[in-house]
Amino acid sequence: MSKAAIKNSKSAKGVRGEASRQSSGRHGVRLDPVTLEVIRNALPAIANEMAADLQRTSYNMMIYEVRDFCTALVDPKGQLISQNVGGVSHFVADLGVVIIDGMKRYGENGFAPGDVIITNHQAVAGQHLNNVVIYMPYFYRGRLLMFAMVRAHWIDIGGTSTGFGAGPQVADPWLEGLQLDQLKIYRKGELDETLYRVLKDNIRFPESSLGDMKSQMAACRLAARRMDELFEKYGQDTILAAIDRIFDETERKCRNVVAQLPDGVYEASASIDDDGVRKGEPVPIHVKITIQGSSMTIDLSGCSAERKAAINSRTLAGARVAYKALTGPLEPVNEGSFRALKVIIPEGNIMMARFPAPMAGWSAIVPTVVDCIVAALAKAMPERVPAGHHGLLGGAVVFFGLHPKTGRRFVVQSLEGGGWGGRPTEDGESGTVSVCQGDVRNGSIEGIELKCPVLVESRALRQDSCGAGKYRGGLGIDMRVRNLVEGHWNFEQTRRALCPPWGLWGGMPGEPGGYLLRLPQENEFRPLGGARLPVPVGASAIVRTGGGGGWGDPWERDPALVINDVREEFVSRKAARELYGVVLSDDLTLDAAATEALRRQMRAKSVRAPPQARSSRGA
Amino acid sequence: MIAVAIDIGGTFTDLVGFDDKAGRFVDAKSLTTPHNLVQGIIDCLRQSGIEASTVDELIHGSTIAINTLIERTGAKTALVVTAGTRDVYIIGRGNRPEAYNLLFHRHRPLVPRHLTREVAERVLASGEIEAPLDRAGVEQVARALAEEGVEAVAICFLHSYVNPTHERAAGDIIRAALPNAYLSLSHEILREYREFERTSTTVVNAYIGRKVGGYVRVLKSELAGIGFAGDLSIMRSNGGVMTPEVAQERPVAMMESGPVGGIIASAKVGEKLGYRNVISFDMGGTTAKASLIRDAEPTMAPGYHVGGYASGHPVMVPMIDVVEIGAGGGSIAWRDDIGALKVGPQSAGADPGPICYRGGGTEPTITDANVVLGRLDPNNFLGGTMQLDADGARRGIEEAIAKPLKMTATQAAQAIIDIAVNKMSLCVREVSVEKGYDPRDFVIFASGGAGPLHVLAIARELHIPTVVVPLFPSHFSALGMLLADERHDFIRTFYSDLASADFGKLIEVHEEMVARAQAGLRHSKDAIQQVHLDLRYTGQEFTLAVPVTMAQLKNGDHRAIRTAFDRLYEQRYAHHSPDEPVEMLNIRLAVIGKRPKLTFPKKRSYRHPSAHSRPVYLGNADKPLSCPIYAREALAAGRRIAGPALIVEHGTTTVLYAGDRCRVAPSGELIIAVGESR
Repeated sequence: MSKAAIKNSKSAKGVRGEASRQSSGRHGVRLDPVTLEVIRNALPAIANEMAADLQRTSYNMMIYEVRDFCTALVDPKGQLISQNVGGVSHFVADLGVVIIDGMKRYGENGFAPGDVIITNHQAVAGQHLNNVVIYMPYFYRGRLLMFAMVRAHWIDIGGTSTGFGAGPQVADPWLEGLQLDQLKIYRKGELDETLYRVLKDNIRFPESSLGDMKSQMAACRLAARRMDELFEKYGQDTILAAIDRIFDETERKCRNVVAQLPDGVYEASASIDDDGVRKGEPVPIHVKITIQGSSMTIDLSGCSAERKAAINSRTLAGARVAYKALTGPLEPVNEGSFRALKVIIPEGNIMMARFPAPMAGWSAIVPTVVDCIVAALAKAMPERVPAGHHGLLGGAVVFFGLHPKTGRRFVVQSLEGGGWGGRPTEDGESGTVSVCQGDVRNGSIEGIELKCPVLVESRALRQDSCGAGKYRGGLGIDMRVRNLVEGHWNFEQTRRALCPPWGLWGGMPGEPGGYLLRLPQENEFRPLGGARLPVPVGASAIVRTGGGGGWGDPWERDPALVINDVREEFVSRKAARELYGVVLSDDLTLDAAATEALRRQMRAKSVRAPPQARSSRGA
Repeated sequence: MIAVAIDIGGTFTDLVGFDDKAGRFVDAKSLTTPHNLVQGIIDCLRQSGIEASTVDELIHGSTIAINTLIERTGAKTALVVTAGTRDVYIIGRGNRPEAYNLLFHRHRPLVPRHLTREVAERVLASGEIEAPLDRAGVEQVARALAEEGVEAVAICFLHSYVNPTHERAAGDIIRAALPNAYLSLSHEILREYREFERTSTTVVNAYIGRKVGGYVRVLKSELAGIGFAGDLSIMRSNGGVMTPEVAQERPVAMMESGPVGGIIASAKVGEKLGYRNVISFDMGGTTAKASLIRDAEPTMAPGYHVGGYASGHPVMVPMIDVVEIGAGGGSIAWRDDIGALKVGPQSAGADPGPICYRGGGTEPTITDANVVLGRLDPNNFLGGTMQLDADGARRGIEEAIAKPLKMTATQAAQAIIDIAVNKMSLCVREVSVEKGYDPRDFVIFASGGAGPLHVLAIARELHIPTVVVPLFPSHFSALGMLLADERHDFIRTFYSDLASADFGKLIEVHEEMVARAQAGLRHSKDAIQQVHLDLRYTGQEFTLAVPVTMAQLKNGDHRAIRTAFDRLYEQRYAHHSPDEPVEMLNIRLAVIGKRPKLTFPKKRSYRHPSAHSRPVYLGNADKPLSCPIYAREALAAGRRIAGPALIVEHGTTTVLYAGDRCRVAPSGELIIAVGESR
């Protein structure tokens, strides 16, 4: 600890820090509340600024629209100092393992200023290979203090990885794409030409991906400049002490929330229809949560063992996204956010798969896992838990080919949201991305058509796709696209048909999504699945997303809300009568007496009012 | 000539009038009358003593447009769209910016689904017609909407930004069937691709149109009733003014017409003083706002989300780029569940207000902290018209903050100010550093009741060397309206490779826009045109607006344009790619009609006694210093004052720290060299 640093920390400029309002911290530094608050605001601001920069300079819709990236500052022990807000949520606090591994690989003295490391290896990172991490060491006065990191979904990493990533049929990582294992692409500022050539020659859109690499590096450098300013101003010891304090305080906040929940063990189950390879064999999801005092343990041992299909991962994301959503959804993330959470996932589990288990579709099951954890805690925190949502990473619209006029390759990409579950005081939202996705935006119809030879025939809410309830679920979407040139569709089936978005407290499940195709000579759409499906000019596809589950007994829904739903055509007259027991005249006025009678009669007939969702066992 | 500007804010209606023959300013303030805004204007004018019949021009900024939207008191509105796109407006972009929030809210549509009607028609991205407009279908929809009694209709068809014939034809049919309804066609409001954002903007326009139109009409007739016969201009979000006729057609353009006045004033006054790079900083009762002015031009944003990005309504109309945070005089200091000290964003507002206002407020605010530190004089607030409760403020800070944090009251007050200053510095940073501009190259202008109190601390934090406290800092927005030019912005999507773009066609598009601008232009003499192209590297999504000259367009000089783009890109993101192809998305046109320039009088020199002193905590929260207090109106041009000092005027106080050196400009502004900034 240097004395100069402490002096710096007071900023000695007269305006602030005049007083002795300080409390002692670690590193032997006394932190005043103002300095602490300033640093608390500054660290996430740096990560957010990195993210904004990356997004605005990217060549890749996965970054600028899907926001499939994260930016972070991580210390040499692998502790998360700060991370951007608003991007894809399943990247929460998962870069620490990369640094722990990197430190093991290169040793404490193995990094130098100007080094740039590139890595995506699944033995450590545990995600699909498209997610390429670029990181740079940050030195202050010669001492390695942290790493600036950017993980971003490259549009291609060779093999079968084009677009959203390879499908579940990809049997191993070699088939999937290039594996990069903690390689220095720059050493002390000098480019490794050989490695660069290997990358350039083995990926399909090198101008896009290497452009993204440039943007990732620029974001890391930006972080270094901002850290310099901060360290110069407050000094190393003050900042490190503040970071420790911020971790501690964040942990305490989370503990405060958990301490209010009744102690006990909470469980829930769900399932994925199959893994995409062994058809008809469900993939079980089971979560067991133990609350004891202010500590929470999330045990995912009951989930499927690793599969020979590419839906494996090595990730704590399922547990962490749920914990974050329940303990402090609007607070910035740091290492302290998860200190009071213990996650149990045994080696060989589908979410702790061992290399070289295939991981191309690594995140497909995560939203279901998150939702399952949330559902399990419905009894513990009823006022904060909605019914099940569509549980998928969106309805992926992927159509690609070669434009006959321009001779250029094109890819249509959009992610369509689905319905969210009804919640304690209101209906679920319609057409919105999953719990693992934050500020992920669909492609605008006009933007898609400007760039690609397709015609979007409709983007529409699906009447009655919502689960009925006192507060109903949100609606799913049908996105209908006609291709104006021949090309290929990717129909990655959603595999939640057997376990649709569940209801809660007597609410009914939402309708699952799927894919449908109609060839030019056909009259009807038919459901279909598979990757790279070739279609002729003039075919139409429907990308369908699921609706959300209902919350509470539909017979308790205020008839006025049902009338409004019918007027708005969210719910059909038939459903109003059959699911809600609401009788309406032709001009949508309520027949109150008939409604009451019908509801009474329906209640009498069913032993337990209305049928429970199959997978809401946790509730 | 006599020009008068009236700015309606949340709490006060401000007036600044200027008679350039007499070289005389007049100002007035009256309480805003939310139920009858026009009455407030008339009252304010009366109070100012200005005879309405002598006024040549009256410029007006109002919250009517934004309040109609936020309070959802607009018209019963219908939306007519292309078959297949009924739900585009509900679905939006499907995003959840609050990534971990399970109980998030999306935007709440202003048009119910049953009043959203589809008609068969289809235009392609190229502008070709894929399916003709089903005119009978439109007639049927029009009849149904008439039966529903809708008061406003928005029409938004796919790709109407490139080919608006269907939208126009449908508009004619609807107008004929619903002659009294307010009608907005999307291509007339926003001629840019992205159907959700265009729909939302058009719907907002239609939704607020009747009410704003009615307001403007009543304003005109009431003003005429008291003898006003001059020109009425309405302030718009882009920092220019427009005629009442344009305002009635495009009310969405006046959404942020209040706050931009202060930014225009900063730009104009700054330029007059020789400062072309200025950060405008305005701190009022509930929020602080920062905006960047470069080369005497405010920075523009293509639009924003009314009500916040997470669940607000996108309104993609060019506006001055403002960053706003919840830190104002009324912002509450509090401790969170782990005891950390926080300031804002909750505000005590005007009611109950800070503790020291004696309006029943019990939570300590930034204003209370300033009173405890002696920076605000309880006996001389708003010219002594309001006696502040200093003991109450001290007790409040002691109870809520000082005791739990084991501090003295003055230490706690200082901590509150420090945290607020840090938050506001981040806000100023967002408009400067984060956009690639070094704040040290800028001068900061402070306005609003609380701006001059804190600006020198902020300037230190960001190493900004010079601070200006202008004349009328608490009426600065109204002053800016006096200085604003007429401004009309247009945008057209023109998607093409830059290198192979058809510049002949582009010029045709440009000429169409110019013709439209001219139609609504009052000050057409010496009007200025600014043209920008939205460019990006092929494959990117986000664009940069690159200024281009008419010569470049006429000569099709894509190389020069490209070089300008590369340079701008390098400045913004610290790297660029000279070998990548560049594509064009939009062409933007701003037409600026110059209003007559006002010549402000030179500051008269007074001979006034020197300052008195009182104890103020400045720099040391444990020991007050005997601080000289100056009355601003007593300061002659050329007067120099060294900090520490307070300069008090009606409505605000400027706080100078040790090392700050202030001089009074010939025209009266306080120009302060910030001490100890590196």
